[in-house]
Formats: sequence, C-alpha cells, structure tokens
Amino acid sequence: MATTTAAVTLSSDLLSDNMSVSASTTCMKAGTTADGLDQIEYGYIDVVTGDQFDLLGADDDDGTPVAGVMASKANKVYIKNHSTDETYYVSIMIDAQDIGRLYGGDWMFIPWNATTDDKDIEITASGGTNKIEYALFHQGKTLVAS
Amino acid sequence: MATTTATITLSSTDLLSNELALSTTATLTQAGNSTGLTGTTGLARKTTATVAPYTLYHADDYTTTKAHKMYLKNTSTTATYYYDIGIGIVGNSTSIGRLYAGDWAFIPWLATDGTKEVFTITLSGTWATADTLTFDGVTISPTNTAHADTAAVIRATYYPNWVVSGSGSDAIFTARRARSDQEIDVGEWTLVDAGGSDAAIAVATTTEGLADPKNIIITPGGSSTNSVTLEHMLLTDE
Repeated sequence: MATTTAAVTLSSDLLSDNMSVSASTTCMKAGTTADGLDQIEYGYIDVVTGDQFDLLGADDDDGTPVAGVMASKANKVYIKNHSTDETYYVSIMIDAQDIGRLYGGDWMFIPWNATTDDKDIEITASGGTNKIEYALFHQGKTLVAS
Repeated sequence: MATTTATITLSSTDLLSNELALSTTATLTQAGNSTGLTGTTGLARKTTATVAPYTLYHADDYTTTKAHKMYLKNTSTTATYYYDIGIGIVGNSTSIGRLYAGDWAFIPWLATDGTKEVFTITLSGTWATADTLTFDGVTISPTNTAHADTAAVIRATYYPNWVVSGSGSDAIFTARRARSDQEIDVGEWTLVDAGGSDAAIAVATTTEGLADPKNIIITPGGSSTNSVTLEHMLLTDE
C-alpha cells in the first residue's frame, strides 16, 4: 500500500493569544486503518474565463459514470490557485452548488464523494486566466475501454 | 492587520516513482485584496451521538461571496466513523465528501444566503402611551401618539429573529435567517389597546422566505449510537 500524508498548519495573530492549529492524517481508503489511498491524478492547467469547466469528472469522457466506484469513499482533492493577481479567483462548484472561491494564492483540501455522475468538481475563472494546480487522491475508478 | 497563514504538506515516498513532496503556504486575505482575514469563530468541537444531520454554520450569519475558509477535522479514532460534509439545509443538502477518522479538510465557503422573509408593519388609528405591541417576544410602547415616533421605537428595538428598517410610519422586518415557515400576519402580533382607542396595525408580506441557504451540514455516519467529535473553525472575511 502507498502511504500519503496530508498535514496542515494554521497560524494567526487574529486573537489575543497566537493561534496555531496543526493536523496530520495518513490518507486511508474508506473505513480502513491499514490500506492507504494508492492512486493519484495530478495536473496544472490554465483556466480561462467565460465558461464553467469540469476539473474532475464524476463521469468519464464518454459519459460513463465512474461514480459507482468513486462514491462513498475517502477521496481527497487538493486545488491551488497559483494566480498572483489578488483579484483573480476561481469558483468551485459541485453539482451546481457553489462551494467557495479560491483567490490567487489560496488552496483547498477537501473530501470528495462522487455519489452520482453529476458530482463533478466544476471550476469557473474570474478576473482573467487562472493557473490551477490540482490533485485527486483516490482508491480507484473504472477506465473506459477505447 | 492580522496575518493568518495556512500551510499544507502532502507527502509520499511510495505513491509514485518519484517522491511526492508538495508544500505550500497561503496567507489568507479578504476577497480581492491583500488585507488579512479579520474574523474567526475560534477552534471548537461538536460531538454528535446519532446519525442526524446538523447545521454547523448558517450562511445567513456571514457575508456572502467572500473569502471565508473552513477547517474541519474528524477526531474519531475508529476507522469506519465518518462525517459527511454537505452544503444546503438539513434534509436537502449536496454532499461534498466524507471525512473519515483522523481526516481533516480546508474548504473555501461562499456562504450564499437564503431568501429571507420580509414584511412591513404599518400603524394606523389612534395610539396612546399605555398601549403595548408585542412580537417575537419583545414588547414596545409608544412614547407619544405620533405613528412615526412609534414606528421609530419599533425600528430601534432589537428582535431576536428579525432585523428592522424602514421610515415614517412603517417598519420593515427582514428575517435574520432564511426559512420557509415564517408566514407573518397580524395574528403573530399582540396589540394591547390599553388606551381604549382604535390603535391598529397592518402587516403585509413583501418577500416569502425560502429554506434555501447554503449552510454547512454535517452528518455522522458509520455508527448510529457512538459519539463522534468534529473539530472545526471558520476564518471569516467580514
């Protein structure tokens, strides 16, 4: 099995006392303690304005749903906006639900439950072309025969 | 200005042929500028003992279309226990994903407001200082007989579930949170016409509330009886 570790540290002087929150997890397959997520999709793309794109599809290119094997699992998605203009952002949506915005420099790390083939992770750029790095850690999906 | 940073490190020596060692730090700023985030709920924990969904954060409590960020961690050590993280309302939410034992997430949140009920109350008749008007558990009394002055008292009063605006003899009530079950009419008000005159009010709904805010909903899974604890913090752009 592969061992992938995800760690986060949040630090701030927002409060009277300095805040420092840290967490680390070994990315496991759903419901296990001994079998790590062992597959990854990793990329870096320019996202132009004007359209909403599927960054990560819950169905394959021919429309075949992969949700059956991606559903109810412990998939993890990392997205970072590498744009340096602070007014640029990308909107992140799942199934037409606007989750939030990643402004230039922001990143996110979320679980992803592709329960049905319309649970794509969709992305829309604003301000200009946004440079996006992304990674999906998962435990397998069905490839479509060519 | 406060400085808040979020650092993620993703590492693996055996997932790929080459070692994965990804680390990045974001300085969390307000939407569209370089000013740091200014608010936080602070770190908190919510323990759940049943599989019932629960509203962790209400979108109506925060400004929408901002750069809010949310930290969540499932503190359970039992591998099968998870929290489904959703967006919407209890009973009608879209699942984002599952946080299994030990997992954490860092999520941007738009906090899209719902459609809030709005109604207007208009005073008429003859009011006296002995009259009282009660709504939402709050009672006011006129300071004189002028409708505009009484309406001003209503507008200046704090109501737990409503925000009041308006002018002249009107007071416009807007719900603090979007709900679909707030059909307000005269029956929800208690007017005590102690002065024995003909004090009266009229209530007119201008916007019907809907249960459509994009709240953060957590739903425990993997156990219907054991308690699970979610650690959480919202960093707000207000």
